[in-house]
Amino acid sequence: MKTIIKKTMLFVTLLTYSVQTYSFCGFYVAKADIKLFNKTSQVILVRDGNRTVVTMSNDFQGNAKDFALVVPVPVVLKENDIKVVKRAIFDKLDTYSGPRLVEYYDENPCYNYYEYSYNFSSRAIPSSSKDKMTLEKNKDDKSYGVTIEAKYTVGEYDILILSAKESVGLKDWLILNGYKIPETAHEVLDPYIKSNLKFFVVKVNLEKLKGNEFQTLNPIQISYESPKFMLPIRLGMANADGSQDMIVYAFTKTGRVECSNYRTVKIPTDRNIPLGVRPKFGQFYADLFKKVWKYENKNAIFLEYAWNVSPNFGGMKCDPCVGPPPIYSDLKEAGVEWVNPNAMTNPNVFFTRLHVRYSRDKFPQDLLFQVTPNTEHFQGRYILTNPAWGGFECDAGQEYLKNLTVKRKKEVEELAALTGWDVTAYIPYITELNKYIKDKEFKKNDFTPVYGANPYDNNHQPKIIFTIGLSLLLILLMIWFNKLHKVKA
Amino acid sequence: MQAQLQSLTALQKAIFFKDARNFQIVFLSCFLIYGIWNLGWDVEINRYTIIFTSCLITQALAIWFLKIPAHSLKSALITSLGLSILFKADSSLALAMGAFFAIASKFIIRINGKHLFNPANFGIVACILVTEQAWISPGQWGSSAVLWFIVGSAGLSVVFKVGRLDTSFAFLGTLFFLDYIRNILYLGWDFDFLIHKYTNGSLLLFTFFMITDPATTPNHKWARYIWSASVAVVSFILQNKLQVHTAPLWALFFVSPFTFLFDKIFVAQKFEWIKISNK
Repeated sequence: MKTIIKKTMLFVTLLTYSVQTYSFCGFYVAKADIKLFNKTSQVILVRDGNRTVVTMSNDFQGNAKDFALVVPVPVVLKENDIKVVKRAIFDKLDTYSGPRLVEYYDENPCYNYYEYSYNFSSRAIPSSSKDKMTLEKNKDDKSYGVTIEAKYTVGEYDILILSAKESVGLKDWLILNGYKIPETAHEVLDPYIKSNLKFFVVKVNLEKLKGNEFQTLNPIQISYESPKFMLPIRLGMANADGSQDMIVYAFTKTGRVECSNYRTVKIPTDRNIPLGVRPKFGQFYADLFKKVWKYENKNAIFLEYAWNVSPNFGGMKCDPCVGPPPIYSDLKEAGVEWVNPNAMTNPNVFFTRLHVRYSRDKFPQDLLFQVTPNTEHFQGRYILTNPAWGGFECDAGQEYLKNLTVKRKKEVEELAALTGWDVTAYIPYITELNKYIKDKEFKKNDFTPVYGANPYDNNHQPKIIFTIGLSLLLILLMIWFNKLHKVKA
Repeated sequence: MQAQLQSLTALQKAIFFKDARNFQIVFLSCFLIYGIWNLGWDVEINRYTIIFTSCLITQALAIWFLKIPAHSLKSALITSLGLSILFKADSSLALAMGAFFAIASKFIIRINGKHLFNPANFGIVACILVTEQAWISPGQWGSSAVLWFIVGSAGLSVVFKVGRLDTSFAFLGTLFFLDYIRNILYLGWDFDFLIHKYTNGSLLLFTFFMITDPATTPNHKWARYIWSASVAVVSFILQNKLQVHTAPLWALFFVSPFTFLFDKIFVAQKFEWIKISNK
């Protein structure tokens, strides 16, 4: 059957399907007793050799005077190593790499093909609040074993780089300086202090903020040289119940980034789903993610996107594109330092999007990453098929309708397997074509969808063939090789 | 197949169960199938075909030219399976090179009639260094207690057969001891930090299927204790100082060249897969 891609639309912004809380690789600490509820954070990681650029988005929506952030870093950062970048880069990367819905249009086998045109639609990202803030004067005290290694004001932020001798001292110092941190925080701070990590402590500078028209706090970008390529998520779990989401956008010269101490698993992709999912695609993906996350025992990391985004790369940069691929200025903003718009050739830029939902019980270790030379492209892509229009009186038309009915049943089963939804409401979607089908025998078939537990591809054929093939091959080889022993019988 | 089975002599059947390599082949292929069915690995027929072909052809050439026993093809099969479950590359050429390096190292890098490197270990490391297009994914196995049990018991049965239990335990014991001191006693992580680390499938595979290779470990028992403990120490340093997440593999690569020194100091008889074959 001929199918034609006509339109790409709808993408999932992670903001649309998760409740928000404030913690990414570090943990947000509040100065007042406010409830911290953001459960999604976003990080851009750029890795080139031992150089790492980390950009942390802080879509903080409380009162900005309550905003504070503590992130363990491997070295004392210099002022030049700290930048404030525009939030738009996160939105752009999210739009570009988010799971996508693609629509296909069937051609009527009885008639000629008609062209349809559609409007592009996408969802807007909710804007964050505009807040005033205050900053308390730091009460530095050596007796707590805390040393202020450096003190900067960058953009709207006041930044301290702390080193500490012991965790209880650091915790007390933070509490004394007006940060509200969990009583048990020192247990998590301890391993970081002893690993000789420094603490990057951020508060908002009220005066810098005054008179500025920006709506949200800008993301902070830090860069450093260190063999450590990791995200200290354990600290972020000190003040959070349950699980938190994090999206990692990674850029490298060579290929994909993967986690080296947890499994990196591809999100199910290229699956046909019913047309009715179109208006609730965000919910669909959120439930799909939840199902797969549970299926993987809640301790895997999910690959959502991987693509070569080099400015010099001649091929397609997405298929289909839901947002424009990052250009020079975006790459620069994200911290990709090896591209130069004036150069004739540039080293490659490979982009990876990872999604992790972590909780204390399933993620006892921080996330360790490695850069691989793997340049295989990947995207999370879900397919809608619009039926052909017109009459279906001809034989081919009747055959088409039957096939479509069977296909729709599969789509509904896929939907159930992917999301765990109750799909009884989709039964009319399967049977709605029956009125045009003349074959009475066909209509007697049972069109009730079968529920499957496995959200992954249920086509086991390649796996079965491989297993049988490998077993047979090995048995034959082993028999043969054993005969090669020169034994005197 | 039935006819072939029957045509095996009783002695050949006895060898079949005596030769630990047969068990290794069965277990390693089970891990590959487990990965594909349970861990969602892609069925990369091309990759496996390239690895198997390259390994077996290299071994066959060596058998032909060097007049070595033909049953050594079994070792090449083990290396092929080992590479299939560990080694990845972005190009077919790199895959073929890795497999070639692995097998060829057995015949080229030799001291006192013994090859220096574990073939799969050398193939992977050499290919990563030379092509920069290869990698291994230490996280691909995940951490689960079931895996520990399966890999552990499968590994144990092979290790028992070749009598290299000391190597596995000296390595794992030393590494665990060092990690325990650093991560639990000194840094203060909770104990599940270590449980997570030591249930990693890649580490277990390394412990029971790579470092135990009797052809490349020292011949003397005491030498093996010291040798595998030093692999653990190097591995610990690489991991904690240089943040190498695939540390054991590199540690084995760096310690292997010293195996012949251990054999010089601690003299013992060289291991043979099948003793009957030489009688």
